[in-house]
Amino acid sequence: MLNQDRLSQLKDLMAERGWDLLLLYGHSWRKDFFRCLINVNFSGPHALAAVDRSGEVRAVMSDAWDAEVVAACPASANFPHGLGELASRRGSVAIAGVEMMETRFVRPFSNPVSATLAVEEIRRVKTPREMELMRKAARLADRGYQQFAKTIAAGMKEYELVAEVEAFLKSNGAEDNFMLIASGGTEVTGMKPPTERRFQWGDSVTTELTPQVDGYWAQICRTLVLGEPSAQQRESFAIFSEAQKAAEDFLRPGVNISDLARVQNDVFRKYGYGEYTGPKYTRVRGHGLGLHCDENPYVLEDVNYTVKEGMTLIAHPNTYLPLSGYMAFGDSLVVTANGCASLNQTERKLFEK
Amino acid sequence: MKRGWITWDQEELPRAAFDARLAAVGDHLAERDLPALVVYTDIWKSNHARHFSNFMPYWNRALLLIARQAKPVLLCGLSPRVYPWIRSVTILEEILPSPDLAKRLVELCSEKGWKRIGVLDLAGLPYDLNQAISSAPVEAVDLSLPLVPDEWELGMYRHAAKMAREGLMEELAGGVGLVDHEFTGLLERKFRRAGAEDLVVLLTNGKTVPLPARGEILGERFSVALALEYRGHWVKVVQNPVGHASGLPSGASTEVLSGPYPYESGNGALVSARWETLRDGVRLFFGDTYWRTAAGIELV
Repeated sequence: MLNQDRLSQLKDLMAERGWDLLLLYGHSWRKDFFRCLINVNFSGPHALAAVDRSGEVRAVMSDAWDAEVVAACPASANFPHGLGELASRRGSVAIAGVEMMETRFVRPFSNPVSATLAVEEIRRVKTPREMELMRKAARLADRGYQQFAKTIAAGMKEYELVAEVEAFLKSNGAEDNFMLIASGGTEVTGMKPPTERRFQWGDSVTTELTPQVDGYWAQICRTLVLGEPSAQQRESFAIFSEAQKAAEDFLRPGVNISDLARVQNDVFRKYGYGEYTGPKYTRVRGHGLGLHCDENPYVLEDVNYTVKEGMTLIAHPNTYLPLSGYMAFGDSLVVTANGCASLNQTERKLFEK
Repeated sequence: MKRGWITWDQEELPRAAFDARLAAVGDHLAERDLPALVVYTDIWKSNHARHFSNFMPYWNRALLLIARQAKPVLLCGLSPRVYPWIRSVTILEEILPSPDLAKRLVELCSEKGWKRIGVLDLAGLPYDLNQAISSAPVEAVDLSLPLVPDEWELGMYRHAAKMAREGLMEELAGGVGLVDHEFTGLLERKFRRAGAEDLVVLLTNGKTVPLPARGEILGERFSVALALEYRGHWVKVVQNPVGHASGLPSGASTEVLSGPYPYESGNGALVSARWETLRDGVRLFFGDTYWRTAAGIELV
């Protein structure tokens, strides 16, 4: 429950920055800062972990049931009171996640500084235990996609398929899952939550599955065609496959994340589809993974960040192409000493059923 | 997270409901001599924007801008590629791409010539947004509105509570002997197929409070706490296969469902109540969703 490796890192950070008290805030959508130290899946909506310079940890929870679950350290169930008690302490205060805190929760503290970027940086390189959980989540993502491909059928509604996949993932140990989907042809420009649309023969069905296991999220992106893929769908997939491979071939410690985006986009440019790599048609060419399903750094050509060994991220050149509409393809990756390795084992192909 | 079917059935929740809610905001703004109200929303803190527009973000955050005698406008961090979908499930017509919400809001105020705007629960805004808006050349005025559920909303809550209560009751007995993960999966399938947008399932065999599934086999006296979102309306039900609650005890703890969050410790017009009894050393948990009226408290 209490990540001792992380506690040691945070104590070092506090000493280096001269912080007397470090707070790690989480709410129901973004539990990651809290869970990077106290890995409790709280119900919410708020939770705060506090570390002082001696390394003493305490938790402040907004729900009485959550407070009862935190056994690794003293925990308060009265959020405003607990905050007040921490604010009354003397010394400098830094808060990771301060940007997402309700303003009324920040006000009791005198001149708090943001620890968000510094703690994010520590979190990027995973500990051996964190890697175990990332691998477990990636295996579950693989199995979830198998279930997706097995269950989908023409005539089924998008939300019914999502219900089946969700049930499978939860039955097999996922705490949560972030999932988007789209189906259709060249009119499809992006993924979104499921609708009542019924799958039809010839549809290109895209999804990203992101199960969470013990706090850690891994993702897989794939596209499936119902029936025999058209020449355009195959041509489109070949471009995505080449772009994703370019990312994997390129990724290693020391490279810049902007170049990881560029090598993917260059493949689209080579085939005359450079305009589809911009924000009008796509969001990012990948992103970090860990205790949040969409961590920094975002894989974009204008993001400057040097990749480190032990980072986990997904490279996904997902975008719209006029050939076959929106397409998704990507694997979760871990940066190794000499390159990278995929955490997923699902076949890299355009699925068809 | 919301990954069920987000939709807007106008027979179930007519446009007139939103018109009435927006008109009430307009009256409130007129009383305060303010041109517009800003309502913050994100994945989890989405109740208020949903109440006024049926917008329920599945990702990112947004600001709903309700101006007097004008259609509401959404300042949205999501890609314009999903705006057609947003328009199909909300009353919204105008959606402005806003990677920087505060900046876009200030630009809009400048375009309209507004020097002051109302912000619903200014102190409840995320700190970064609050700081950005507070330092802008527009005066942000804190507003609190009496967001009492209307008849349309109560109808939605009743539907959600019935779905949760009856659906859970149907599955409880079958849960004995299953691994808690399997039972959670069973509920996910059942409720998402029935149209739930989101659900949170907590379980216990009576030695702890209800918790997320953790690989335990459910015994004969397990309890389950189900929070369910149906078309933006969250309810909570806590049941066990041993016995039914015989009424709301005075010592029950409550969570408000009609606030900005799906549920949060406290009191309000619409609450979920939960309580426990100890039977042969096993903690049995109970709970349901209630509507507080002048006459008392009634089951939703």
